[in-house]
Amino acid sequence: MIIGLEVHVSLPTKTKLFCSCSTAASEPNSSVCPVCMGFPGAKPMLNSEALRIAVSIAEALRCKISERVSFVRKVYFYPDLPKSFQITQLYEPVGKDGLVECYDGSVVRIRRIQLEEDPARIIKAEDYSLLDFNRSGMPLVEIVTEPDIKSEESLRAFITELMSILYYLGVDIEGEIKTDLNISMAGERVEVKNITGIKNMIDAARYEVRRQSKIIEGGGSVISETRSYVEAKKETVSTREKETDEEYGFIAEPDLTWYDTKGITRIEPVYADKIAEGYAKEYGIDKKVVLDLIMYDRDALRLIERTKGAFGMKTIINGIEIVKKYGDIGSEQAFKRLLDFLQNGGYVDAAAFEKIKKGEKVEGNVIDMKKIIDEARLLLNDKVKEDYKKNPKAINFVIGKIAAKYKMNPRDVAEIVKRIIDG
Amino acid sequence: MSSIEEFYSLEKDKEYYRDLLEELGKVNEKLNAFNNINEGLSSGFPFSAKDNLCVKGVESTASSKMLSGYVPPYNATVVERMLRNKFGFIGKTNMDEFGFGSFGLNSQKIAKNPFDEHYVAGGSSSGAAIATAILKYHVAIAESTGGSIATPAAFCGVVGFTPTYGTISRHGLIDYSNSLDKIGIMARSAKDIRPVFDAVKGPDGYDSTAVNAKLNSNNTKHIFVVDQLIELVDKRIRAYFEALLDKLSSMGYSIEHAKIESTEAAVASYYIIAMAEASTNLARYTGFKYGLKNDNFGESYNEFFTEARKYFGDEAKRRIILGTFVRSASVKEKYYYKALKVREVLSHSMHEILEKGFILLPVMPVLTPKIEDAKKLSPLETYKMDALTIPPNLCGLPHISFPYAYDNGMPLGAQLITSKFNDYALIDFVEEWEEEFKYVFKYNIGAVQ
Repeated sequence: MIIGLEVHVSLPTKTKLFCSCSTAASEPNSSVCPVCMGFPGAKPMLNSEALRIAVSIAEALRCKISERVSFVRKVYFYPDLPKSFQITQLYEPVGKDGLVECYDGSVVRIRRIQLEEDPARIIKAEDYSLLDFNRSGMPLVEIVTEPDIKSEESLRAFITELMSILYYLGVDIEGEIKTDLNISMAGERVEVKNITGIKNMIDAARYEVRRQSKIIEGGGSVISETRSYVEAKKETVSTREKETDEEYGFIAEPDLTWYDTKGITRIEPVYADKIAEGYAKEYGIDKKVVLDLIMYDRDALRLIERTKGAFGMKTIINGIEIVKKYGDIGSEQAFKRLLDFLQNGGYVDAAAFEKIKKGEKVEGNVIDMKKIIDEARLLLNDKVKEDYKKNPKAINFVIGKIAAKYKMNPRDVAEIVKRIIDG
Repeated sequence: MSSIEEFYSLEKDKEYYRDLLEELGKVNEKLNAFNNINEGLSSGFPFSAKDNLCVKGVESTASSKMLSGYVPPYNATVVERMLRNKFGFIGKTNMDEFGFGSFGLNSQKIAKNPFDEHYVAGGSSSGAAIATAILKYHVAIAESTGGSIATPAAFCGVVGFTPTYGTISRHGLIDYSNSLDKIGIMARSAKDIRPVFDAVKGPDGYDSTAVNAKLNSNNTKHIFVVDQLIELVDKRIRAYFEALLDKLSSMGYSIEHAKIESTEAAVASYYIIAMAEASTNLARYTGFKYGLKNDNFGESYNEFFTEARKYFGDEAKRRIILGTFVRSASVKEKYYYKALKVREVLSHSMHEILEKGFILLPVMPVLTPKIEDAKKLSPLETYKMDALTIPPNLCGLPHISFPYAYDNGMPLGAQLITSKFNDYALIDFVEEWEEEFKYVFKYNIGAVQ
């Protein structure tokens, strides 16, 4: 199985890519102008912030950055495309030849990264369609990978890694992420277009792999075609488009000049994966635990960075988990108070969290270690110990019960329980 | 004194504009200079805008049926700047549809030559040239892609100035070929062009290609004549042109001969680039959001917009088809990329000569044709008529067309070309020429007794 992706992400700019219309409007067709409506005579003006973010993405994905970038017209007729051409990139895209190292060790090469405008939104009703031009001209970055993804797990790893890098560049990953998947099991390439969201993307890939496998196992051959994903049925269907090379008649966009990238100040990339790996090595903790905490959470990462010398890493991780459970801790000072409290053997519930946050003294809430050990010993009877030898999960109910009762981190309880079993 | 200064110094009665508009209306019925006239004009020195320039609240169609009823919600920058400088908007001038034509024939109303209605006015800025030739106090904002200012200016006996590409913002210009389109000015004297150019030039926050360049006036006494191009010209014109060169010699100019590379490929290169870009610009006209609307929403989108696109004129359809062809993947290398290369070679070659002096050429290879005769020309024969105006236009070079002789009462125009951003030298030259040569006008609408 080989999968290649084309991922489209919206950029967090205040205005559209080629005009000064706001990107924040909600009332349909309220944020439009002659440029994004494709009115005769209107000319595009490049949003330099969009270019800066696109260059930052390309650099974070270790691409070669084009010294000068330029744009082209991609001509096709569709009701959502007001000029009947999309301004995109071809000859001098923002970046080329990059790579993403995923947390599972796989590497996915990036073929190209380009900046382009989004078409309008089509809202389909029963026997008519509506168009919302608020989306027309929104800045998009298209990230095209090489066909390097070889399993569903790798697909998940890649997209998680990519989203994390984008998140730290300030790109809104909560928004719609549109993906085109290219999947080939035995030579013939099937393209699944316009999948919205990550879950759908993985579901579509899973369905498509299963579908193609079945055909191959049955002795048939997969047809090279374009398919679309039907979310409600969780399946892909043929779009019945002719499989010819599409003719877009690209020409240089003559209303835009070329743009020098040398002087652009890049946004510094953050590789959560690499940071988690560093912590795992330095503090002897599980990389995955740290990674889950910081992958999409710049506040968590900042709190770890600021407290890592003064507190034990395990305590810090407990602290972050508590913050994620009870909400914003407010300040770095409050977080340090929380870590102090944990280090002194306290356990935290909602009430204690609020008091620590406000800087008030917490009475009680002290973990009585002796009591916990006694209780664990009682639950760990010989049968449980015997089961544990065959199935390590056999002790989970003990861990769960104690963790819930004493508002403790299950990981800490697990350590205590294992120590008892090991004697 | 410019006629603008003269106009403001004159005593005009209350009825001045009303009388002017009334007379203009009558003449316009005969000559088809204007697509619409601003009946509300009541102050300022009159200026007209070619119908491919957007004027807020005024129907702007680029003479295309496709855009009939289109009223732009904004002013083109050039129009905005004219209004801000207290010029009075008098109307939208007739043109070949979207600028596609050299004779003014590709319009719903054929533009007619003010010296003789049986003759063409030239195109594509036909109406701009006619308006300039019939109105005593007026300047025209026109536009040239491959010669659309110089040609009608020459046939109608007025001065036509096409500045360096990018010196006047194209924001609000209904695009023909964006890398070639240049907004320019027509007037009865270079003296009127200067203040208008001063008012409208310069960078613009709505057009990335509008540059902030220092414009010069480096005058030279050297004039180069390009024999390869002169050879394409009608013998009768050559005789008039020789006389012009003699006259310029007597005025102290040295006449030299030069060769430009790739001139034989210039017309093909121009039409390939212009059509390729035009076919993308015209893709947006789908009878859907503006202009002529197709209400038959029951069709599939392909059928829907195909139906609407029947409203394009023949020349527009021809350019869409050819333009789409030359940029298609299988032949792009052979046509489009080669055309870009020719533009580069030609630009370089012309630049080398222009560093040493001006280039002077006749505007058209033929005497003003009769409308009936021009109609008989094949598209290719018509395209070849642009052989002399294409070199400066393809290279984005500033040039000015001015009347220099009259043949049986019909004016002849020559064009002076200079290097990029030396635009004011052209105005200086024609001002000097006007000391020596008096232009003839058949109409003087708006003259004050």
